[in-house]
Amino acid sequence: MTSPLVSIRGLEKRFDLSGSLLEQITFEGGRFRRRQEAVHAINGVDLDVHKGEALCVVGESGCGKSTVARTVMGLISPSAGEIHYDGQRIDNLDGKAALPYRRKMQMIFQNPYASLNPRMTIQQTLEEPIRFHQPDLSPSQIRDKVHEVMHSVGIDPDWGSRFGHEFSGGQRQRIAIARALVVDPEFIVADEPISALDVSIQAQVLNLLMDAQESRGLTYLFITHDLAVVEHFGTRVAVMYLGRVCELADTKALFDSPRHPYTQALLSAIPRLEDDRPNHIRLQGEVPTPVNLPSGCVFHGRCPYANDRCRQEVPRLIATDGGTQVACHAVEEGRL
Amino acid sequence: MPLLEVKDLDVRFAVRGGDLKALRGISFSLDKGERLGLVGESGAGKSVAAFSILNLIARPGYIAGGQILFEGKDLAAMGERELRKIRGNRIAMIFQDPMMTLNPVLTIGTQMIEAILAHRKISKKAARDIALDRLRKVQIPSPEKRLEQYPHELSGGMRQRVIIAIALLLDPEIIIADEPTTALDVTIQAEIMALLLDLCEQENVALMLITHDLGVVSQVTQRMLVMYSGRIIEQGPTREIINDAQHPYTQGLINALPQMGEPGQRLFQIPGSMPSLKNVPSGCPFHPRCKFATEQCKQAMPGYVRSGNVDVACYEVSNLIEQEKRMQEAES
Repeated sequence: MTSPLVSIRGLEKRFDLSGSLLEQITFEGGRFRRRQEAVHAINGVDLDVHKGEALCVVGESGCGKSTVARTVMGLISPSAGEIHYDGQRIDNLDGKAALPYRRKMQMIFQNPYASLNPRMTIQQTLEEPIRFHQPDLSPSQIRDKVHEVMHSVGIDPDWGSRFGHEFSGGQRQRIAIARALVVDPEFIVADEPISALDVSIQAQVLNLLMDAQESRGLTYLFITHDLAVVEHFGTRVAVMYLGRVCELADTKALFDSPRHPYTQALLSAIPRLEDDRPNHIRLQGEVPTPVNLPSGCVFHGRCPYANDRCRQEVPRLIATDGGTQVACHAVEEGRL
Repeated sequence: MPLLEVKDLDVRFAVRGGDLKALRGISFSLDKGERLGLVGESGAGKSVAAFSILNLIARPGYIAGGQILFEGKDLAAMGERELRKIRGNRIAMIFQDPMMTLNPVLTIGTQMIEAILAHRKISKKAARDIALDRLRKVQIPSPEKRLEQYPHELSGGMRQRVIIAIALLLDPEIIIADEPTTALDVTIQAEIMALLLDLCEQENVALMLITHDLGVVSQVTQRMLVMYSGRIIEQGPTREIINDAQHPYTQGLINALPQMGEPGQRLFQIPGSMPSLKNVPSGCPFHPRCKFATEQCKQAMPGYVRSGNVDVACYEVSNLIEQEKRMQEAES
């Protein structure tokens, strides 16, 4: 197998909650104490994204999927771990050295109402990244490029002088996609790009993303909570729970035979058209807080198969016969 | 007689330069204990329909015509004082965002007891007992403790359970739920939907479920309405519509779902988007996006025709039905 385009190794990210030193210090029982608390958003994630694939990261709110996306893009710096792009470590590069990667890696955000600058026309929005990354292009070359990309995402180039607010949500998301495509990226991180849109518009935008992948040979890291979209769009899927990857598999394998108990519960919860009644696997309790992580397997408190080992030892991702990688002691021991 | 009957309801918003027609002559009914789904995309008028049933449309919106008959009495013509006896008491409502519905500075208990005492002349102690009972019904662990807690101390799923408990406080006949699980995660959504369904069945409460999620509609409801640009374009038994939708818009909506496509292949897509209320197309509001559209569709709004047990507003469907009839007559 060829080497991966993007490779994430041992990624960890903590967000400090405790504030300044003075806020951390309390006086208790005759002595001063220093308390530090942090949200453990990502706790050791290893992922490889191969050229030309769409790797989907799914999970529920707070599982760390968006943090993974932002760390990969360098929007936030990791607490530990490394990110490699085409064999080169990029998480420790300074501004200038990172510049070529900022062009090759582009991001599409969830909310097209917030991600477009309201004071720039569409033409300006789309020209800015080219001017920045390819300063030697002439104005007419830039204009041609913008027109070509606008055309390819289905936005009439004559609308260039309009502002973001004059467009509908679906059109805005097309413009956001155009902005990512305009600098000819290789790798696109899309963080919930269609969840703010209506069903009929979702299909339009999803088709656009797939067309762009085919015509430009793009690689996607696609973050979503919508499993139906994953089933349709993803080459491989990583399921996250409380900052860890609990299952990593080819899309078809994951939907045909989910192995991890959490994946099974998650898949059973999708409301399907052919259902006459809800028939989901009921989990006990709720997702614990990422401030105090459970010991051992992070899922053990809600897992019907948990035993003593699950409560103590953190499971690692282990390849199973079908090629699926699962982080579960029960699967490893053959109990499940 | 149905429990709730909406007849030719017209709702408009008075803005500068004329009225915006948010609902244009919608009619439907809801029987006792029945579960009805209201489906459509943003801007279709689903929420306006729900709000106008309780006459909660605020200025500049107003009900321009039609009737909302609840047990034979017209809610649209009722005074505020009388309406209050029905709102929250006989017809309860559940909104999308539980954090917006709960008062952040009052404990759960205070809010629940307040709601009961507003409608019933009973002691505080008795009201507290009712509140506890409802919290148990929605399967909230340690309900006594919850009464003393503030909304921010609960998770999103728990808050929505509290909201459902509040809706159940006064044994309503109808619960109107406006996107009750849209803000929640899939596993929590599944729990809440199952709970709502169980409770409605046990207590024989009618449910009007407003959602954009066809999967949820098919799991929970018996009948459904599809709305587009302020009109009901198709209504009938849920299973029949999901399996064999008649209106081109409903068909498009179902076929656009990722689960209907072959993995990796392009999805079916409806071109364009829902028209804004400021410039609603003439005739059938869907015609600019419809591949079957003819001159007839541009001129006048289609009436309803019956196909199986489903009522559809589409010329194409009515023409097909006509054709079939003629062919059968010719054969015999």
